[in-house]
Amino acid sequence: MSSDANAYDAGSGEDQQRLDLADGIDHQVAMVMDLNQCVGCQTCSIACKTLWTSGSGQEYMYWNNVETKPGEGYPRGWEESGGGWKSDANDEREPGEIPSKEDYGDAWEFNHSEIMYEGDDTPLRPKGGDPEYGPNWEEDQGAGEYPNSYYFYLPRICNHCTHPSCVEACPRSALYKREEDGIVLVDQERCRGYRYCVEGCPYKKVYYNEVKKTSEKCIFCYPRIEGEGPDGEVKPTACASECPPQLRYVGFLDDQQGPIYKLVERYGVALPLHPEYQTQPNVYYIPPFAPPQQDTEGETLEVDRIPPEYLEELFGEEVHDALETIQREREKVERGGSSELMDILTTVNNEDQYRLEVFDDA
Amino acid sequence: MRNDELGRLALAALIVLGMAVVPVLVSARPANEIPVESVEGNAQLSAADAAEWDDVPAAEVPLSSAPSGLPDASDTSISAVEVQAAQDGEKLYIRMHWRDPTADRNVTGPRGFADAAAVQIPVNTSTHPAIAMGSTRTPVNVWYWSAEKGTEELAAGGPSTTTSFEQPAVETDVTRHNGTYTLVYSRPLASDADNRTAITMENNVDVAFAVWNGSNAERSGRKAVSEWYHFPLGPQPSGPQHQGLLWAIAGIAIVVVVAATGFAIKRT
Repeated sequence: MSSDANAYDAGSGEDQQRLDLADGIDHQVAMVMDLNQCVGCQTCSIACKTLWTSGSGQEYMYWNNVETKPGEGYPRGWEESGGGWKSDANDEREPGEIPSKEDYGDAWEFNHSEIMYEGDDTPLRPKGGDPEYGPNWEEDQGAGEYPNSYYFYLPRICNHCTHPSCVEACPRSALYKREEDGIVLVDQERCRGYRYCVEGCPYKKVYYNEVKKTSEKCIFCYPRIEGEGPDGEVKPTACASECPPQLRYVGFLDDQQGPIYKLVERYGVALPLHPEYQTQPNVYYIPPFAPPQQDTEGETLEVDRIPPEYLEELFGEEVHDALETIQREREKVERGGSSELMDILTTVNNEDQYRLEVFDDA
Repeated sequence: MRNDELGRLALAALIVLGMAVVPVLVSARPANEIPVESVEGNAQLSAADAAEWDDVPAAEVPLSSAPSGLPDASDTSISAVEVQAAQDGEKLYIRMHWRDPTADRNVTGPRGFADAAAVQIPVNTSTHPAIAMGSTRTPVNVWYWSAEKGTEELAAGGPSTTTSFEQPAVETDVTRHNGTYTLVYSRPLASDADNRTAITMENNVDVAFAVWNGSNAERSGRKAVSEWYHFPLGPQPSGPQHQGLLWAIAGIAIVVVVAATGFAIKRT
């Protein structure tokens, strides 16, 4: 063990006290996504869809989606759809709404067979009229005016919250938080499709399968992280492992040697989305940087391109400190210094990003 | 005879008639009783529109929102259900008839909910379980019909504990005419399965009803429910004590009124 790690351990008692794991949970899986690396390619969305939601009744579902921000997102207007808790006491839930099918966007059927097999020479297009919305409808739209328009991509999965309002919303206790790792699951045997979880989740990450008549959601690829796949190897979630820029860190929030603990707890640069929903997400984001604004002559201005108040709207007021910390550490490296934080954020070694077996012997 | 004498006689006759009839009416339908018509073996009663149901007395059962604590739990839309019941020695038939102008049967999409109805009876007919799905010690049987999923037979030991039987013993038939559902549940009286009520003629059977209107997003504990009613299947007392008391009071009243009237007539 290095002296650095020892020094780190010396402070772990205090750090441990700050950690707020859910009651009855041994450990908490968590993910950090670095938004500065996301190129919006949707490979994560397709990896997830191929693996988990290619079945009947799941056509419209994207347990992992990537939406362009600012924007309405998927489902449309989810940030205004209610759910979550009224306060951090987590004793009274905020009423929520079930999104409409139109807000998710119907799964589009394309004229592949007509073009490929029937000699149709019309362009490839969705059948049944012009679609009016979809899960990536506002791609690259963003906000702002030329030359200072801006946008960034926001990949979203279930946050496997410490205080999951979906779990609390279910009158049948069909949703639960796994004791061993805090993954939030829907017991498909208990679920009767009442959809109180769908309206209760403020992130709208529980989906109703109208064929099976049950609700379904991201399972944090638990068979993969348990090594229950065909090759018996422990693997990170599919959305993480398939990501071309490898922007995700997967592990445990309470693994104090791991990157997630360090990014979230030690450096405070990875932040939950919409903390005001009071569910305490366990998916965290490194907030996005963008070049500064320009004037009409193309000269650089000392004005942030992405309005800090918008980032605060998404990630809470701690986003300012997070951005300052990253900026400070980056400058330290630019001056020739070393920075553990920048080492973590710039690693190209998967072993530094994915730490899923640390508690196996516990 | 003068007019006022006629009036007095008429009044006296009315009082006497009232005294005689009121006790009979009181005993006709004890509170929260739903009569069970005994019929000869007649499978037609399992059909919702069978003409045989015309001869079975009906009870109007008021419904109100179940206090479940779920969002919008007090927003339910069905206020009453008409209930008929019959048994033929082999099966119990329960017929529910309620108005729901919106037919939510082939519902689609995340916001679509189907219409549904349910009957609840104690697993042990000698118990009187809590109205909200019984309890661990006093479980209930629920006969559930949904316009989407069809028939289910459930056992429950308290709110949110419903568990499906793999093989339901209850069957349903449903029709819908002019915005009104007619639903018949039929189930063999006898049962030796765990958590399935054996309906015998040894006890009255408590029964409660619930209806869900899908287009009002009613599901789960957001439902219109009745209080406990009962089927008088057990041995009925030959006459309750209060009935004898009423008859005694009525008899004395008749004697007093007749005597007073006669006395008054004689004096005039």
